[in-house]
Amino acid sequence: MNSDLATTILTISALTVSRNGNRLLDNVSATVARGSITLLMGHNGAGKTVLMNCLHGLMAYDSGKIDAPPRTQQKMVFQKPVLLRRSARQHLKFLCPLLADAKIEALLARADLNHRANTPARALSGGEQQKLALIGALATHPDILFLDEPTAHLDFEATKSIESMIREAHDGGTSILMTSHNRAQAERLAQHVLLLDKGMLVESAPAPQFFSAPSHPLARHYLDHV
Amino acid sequence: MDILSPFQIALSLLVSFEPELMGIIGLSLGVSLTAVGISLVIGLPLGALLAAYRFPGRGAIIVISNTFLGMPPVVVGLVIYLLVSRAGPFGFLGILYTPAAMMLAQTILVLPIAIALSRQVFEALNAEYAPLFRSIGLSQFRWIASLVSEARISLITIGLACFGRAISEVGAVMIVGGNIRHSTRVMTTSIAQATSMGELALAVALGIVLLLVALIVNILTQIVRGRLQDHGYEL
Repeated sequence: MNSDLATTILTISALTVSRNGNRLLDNVSATVARGSITLLMGHNGAGKTVLMNCLHGLMAYDSGKIDAPPRTQQKMVFQKPVLLRRSARQHLKFLCPLLADAKIEALLARADLNHRANTPARALSGGEQQKLALIGALATHPDILFLDEPTAHLDFEATKSIESMIREAHDGGTSILMTSHNRAQAERLAQHVLLLDKGMLVESAPAPQFFSAPSHPLARHYLDHV
Repeated sequence: MDILSPFQIALSLLVSFEPELMGIIGLSLGVSLTAVGISLVIGLPLGALLAAYRFPGRGAIIVISNTFLGMPPVVVGLVIYLLVSRAGPFGFLGILYTPAAMMLAQTILVLPIAIALSRQVFEALNAEYAPLFRSIGLSQFRWIASLVSEARISLITIGLACFGRAISEVGAVMIVGGNIRHSTRVMTTSIAQATSMGELALAVALGIVLLLVALIVNILTQIVRGRLQDHGYEL
């Protein structure tokens, strides 16, 4: 096997996306290391969600290239969980129709949702909804998991719980690419950071280096304001 | 006309379970519910398909179904009459002046409503669920089936709108059914006939019965809807 393929799960080459005359992503090139937790950071409108949607195949891009695992080996959790008008258990069964009932129950228990399994998914609290979405995405052990601000608007306890599940998925071998506005959270989780600004990748650095000595002036400016 | 007499007649007709009236109510409900059922079975998946996918002919289907929304019932009745009359291309079916022809007429009148209303509901739902469905690689069949399943509470309202249109229809069913006693006479055609014969109290009484039937169907569906809402399924 090519050593790049062994160490890199995702390669983005000169990705460009424009909509209605606006350039949303401008010639973005980056790699994501296999088995890493990579944080995608940047101000609102920087292009984080657009990039993630392109990587997961939810959005078409104008030019460039993406080398990623097949769709069946990717999963994505959205900032606002997309939940069916069914119970939490039925929602999970819908996402994972091939999983045995015992496995479904084990997943619900892992997320501490077993006592809420019969509650309509959309009536769960924000944290519970995000945990349900996360166990649904992780049930099939994807190679890579895209997380679009999974803890936005969640309280401390829920955030802690989600972060613990993310670490567990990472320990299990899933590569994680996640967006976040929360610097403290990024410092807790990230091994590598990609910083976008106005659709351009301005910094790609190991997390300790990014937070202690960012090289790009825009990165320094960003860290001063988050 | 004594203002109270229609209510007295309606009440006495209902409490006495007058056999002919019961037959008329039964036929009215049978024809209309069947037409609504057929329209929903065809219209809902079609509405979901139109909302979720872009395909050749999609625009034409939307224009045609929207045009049929405003189609006068008597014109529908006349067209079906020409098609299924003995000299028509489908005359061999022998359904003119039978409940089958009345169901066909009501289905054609109700189907565009089912398509148009469900398309609206499904467009909103599809915008919500498309990222998830695309993310998990749902097949086209499961995509449509899931949209229909998720829209189930809104579909009750659509079913009610269709039923209201069907049960109150008179022009088309008069033409293709013929208002034949004990065979194709329904509540609306009975009212039309009673009015034309000057039996205004009876006509009003039948109108009250028609309203009561619609009221009961509405109450039953509201109960079902309320039960589902109580369980948090319309959030």
